[in-house]
Amino acid sequence: MDQQGQNGLMRTFREPWRSRGALAYVVAALLTGFYVVLYWTEWLTPAAVALGLRSKWLLYGALYSVAMVGGAAYYLRHHGNSRYNRVRIAVNVGVQVALAFLLPLIMPLFGGPEAYLSYFWPLSYDKLWPSTLSSLPVYLALYFIVGSLLVAPLLAYRYGKRWYCSWVCGCGGLANTFGDPWRHLTASSTRSWRFEKVSVHTVMFVAVLTTFLLVLDAATDGATGTFHWLVAGGQWWSVKQLYGLVVGAILAGVVGVGFYPLFGPRLWCRNFCPMAAMLGLFQKLGRFRIAVKKDMCISCGNCTTYCEMGIDVRSYAQSNQSFTRAACVGCGMCAHVCPRGVLRLENAPREQADKARVRLPVVDL
Amino acid sequence: MRVVIIGNGVAGIEAAITVRNREPTWSVTIVSEESDHFFSRTALMWVHTGQLSHACIEPHERDLYARMGFERVRARAVGLDTAARRVFLAGGLAPLPYDRLLIAAGSRPRPGPWPGADLRGVGHFVTHQDLAWLEAEVHGGPSRGGPPPRPDAHLSATADDSPYRPRPVAARGGARAPAVIGGGLIGIEAVEVLVAAGLRPTFFIREDWFWPMALDPRESAWIAERMGEHGVDVRLGENVEALVGDDRLQRVRTDRGEVDCDLCVVAIGVVPNTDWLRADRGEPYRSGGQPVKLDARGGVEVDEGLTSSVDGVFAAGDCASVPWYDGVRRPEQLWYTARDQGRVAGRRLCGDTALYARGVWYNSAKLMDVEYTTAGLVSVGVPDERNWFYEERGAVRSTTRIVLSGERVVGFNLLGRRWDHEVLVRWIEEHRSLDYVLAHLTEASFDTELVPPLEVPARGVELDGPAPTVIDGGMPAMVV
Repeated sequence: MDQQGQNGLMRTFREPWRSRGALAYVVAALLTGFYVVLYWTEWLTPAAVALGLRSKWLLYGALYSVAMVGGAAYYLRHHGNSRYNRVRIAVNVGVQVALAFLLPLIMPLFGGPEAYLSYFWPLSYDKLWPSTLSSLPVYLALYFIVGSLLVAPLLAYRYGKRWYCSWVCGCGGLANTFGDPWRHLTASSTRSWRFEKVSVHTVMFVAVLTTFLLVLDAATDGATGTFHWLVAGGQWWSVKQLYGLVVGAILAGVVGVGFYPLFGPRLWCRNFCPMAAMLGLFQKLGRFRIAVKKDMCISCGNCTTYCEMGIDVRSYAQSNQSFTRAACVGCGMCAHVCPRGVLRLENAPREQADKARVRLPVVDL
Repeated sequence: MRVVIIGNGVAGIEAAITVRNREPTWSVTIVSEESDHFFSRTALMWVHTGQLSHACIEPHERDLYARMGFERVRARAVGLDTAARRVFLAGGLAPLPYDRLLIAAGSRPRPGPWPGADLRGVGHFVTHQDLAWLEAEVHGGPSRGGPPPRPDAHLSATADDSPYRPRPVAARGGARAPAVIGGGLIGIEAVEVLVAAGLRPTFFIREDWFWPMALDPRESAWIAERMGEHGVDVRLGENVEALVGDDRLQRVRTDRGEVDCDLCVVAIGVVPNTDWLRADRGEPYRSGGQPVKLDARGGVEVDEGLTSSVDGVFAAGDCASVPWYDGVRRPEQLWYTARDQGRVAGRRLCGDTALYARGVWYNSAKLMDVEYTTAGLVSVGVPDERNWFYEERGAVRSTTRIVLSGERVVGFNLLGRRWDHEVLVRWIEEHRSLDYVLAHLTEASFDTELVPPLEVPARGVELDGPAPTVIDGGMPAMVV
């Protein structure tokens, strides 16, 4: 049966592993350690080979899929009484298993490249680099160019960035399944919002700039490159390497997933993901919004607490303001946990955005 | 100008913010016995379960008072001198002078009228201190979210009969056989938190069905069924006669027998928290000048401008008896009306002539996991009343009840789906017919995405006669 609201009551702050107890720190240390091993050692390679997988990255894909499936079971047990939640998680897990694990596993067996079709530029920062595009078959190069530059922004304009961040993306998928127990740990203070706005747009700018420099190099000088070298830490780095290290490995992996149990599962998506930032801009211009039912909010704080992106949803709800925030990934949890059914995710045409206020409780003389 | 506000709830804080936004230099003092920070009282149940922390249920960041320049006094107000314009405070604190005063002291729980209502193990579920008591009884203490800041800061300035005194704990985390008395919203919230803690409470309801103020027997039966599925022993039509025990509660005695209990939440309603305004109550209470007029229910009598019988004294929120559409004054114990009243009172404190006028009634609630929306006149009895009732049992379970007075739709009672009350209220104001409403019902839907829409049969639903009502003389049978 579809009940739209929360099913029973969550015991979040009575479970130490979910509320920064000792176990949460242990899990965070293990996750962080795993990513250090994954990125900077080859310790996982023998295990991958023993399992018949070609590389540690395919083993990572398998582990990732297992974590998502297990997390999805947890998620559905807690929030599965809403059809939106069920469908969304099923699609998201399906995309991960099919497009980010099975397809890369199988394609090379038929002579194709090991391509991850659910990841687009600029999240997958090298997808539009000339060196990547030239290594791909033409149909795949076109798929990533059109997908990244045309389809993704258009869909974000029409349906909000949730189409990607909460239905397709593996980072979002892991956050919403394996990371769901910790979603309330995302900071929702004004300070955290200020930090987010600066950091996420900075990373987006750097991602675009990096790609631009590489394209410029390819256009002027071919393979050797002159524009994309810079000095850091007393030695020459390519922008490629630097971006890959800082953004791709440290921020997306070690910090992004490793800190789930301490700072919530969307740390990466909210503060660092260039794709989220870019799609957020299209979302802000587009049709997606969270509609607020007038004068029904009781300011309980469930929406703000369980917003994984740290949006203070309550501040909009209690001031009767339907809204679109660039950060919102449209997971639907605010509407789900609202005990008064005040919130609804919508793809509304702009003109319908605000109806005239009907009730006039205050007569002003 | 010195503005003093008694109460740190939604009415008080909205008034304070309204004043500050208009008058940056005025002194604004908020007196609260209960808490340092404004919080959402309706969310206390989730703090108990652990779904939210105390910080979560505070709608503003904690620097609000500093940022807005509000003075805070954690003490019990123990009387007014309306002639000298000052508020008396407990604990030997100096009286607080004011030029304009807002009384927004809210409600206090109605005490159980039975013998044994003061036993250890018996309490309420309305205040911060009630929550701390119930957390101690059930869980042994607060969740990892911690207690609220400075939970005991008022204890040096309180009174023996204050509802904000800490309640002695009987079970200290060991409560195993809880009972809840009172078939209303606070009662079912108490039931819900006990169920969430893995307990199987006994729920004593005096009336023949749960929450007859709002639900008809068919609607109520569904809620009772949901409670039963969660292991709640729902006792309908059973009158409590005594709470029995030597020092600690041991049994609840009713007109049908006795039930062993070690914990009892008394949830038989709330009354305006205005006892401290009555003259001649003896120490520590004091008074002076013309007393503020209270009505029979204990609410501060106010006019449409929320002005009391005394010049410069206003009242808002649960403790104010405001004029209803029929001209009779009653308290409106709702969150959003308290907020609206607080805003109007804030304008009044600034010297404006803003008026408060409540429109068509509406409200919402969640009963266990069933969502409830109501608008207009439901379960109060209207002239020539008929009821259109439809129960949906498919992918979604819901009930839809449309109340007619003659040919005109005057009310909606809706369970299990989400509805936009603004549209429902508009239809009531537009005097729509049943046919019109049924044809346009999806326009009022506020269901989440992907939920299949409600399909109502256009024909074949018999109209029932008047819904049973337990209200006699309390609410007028008239159409807004």
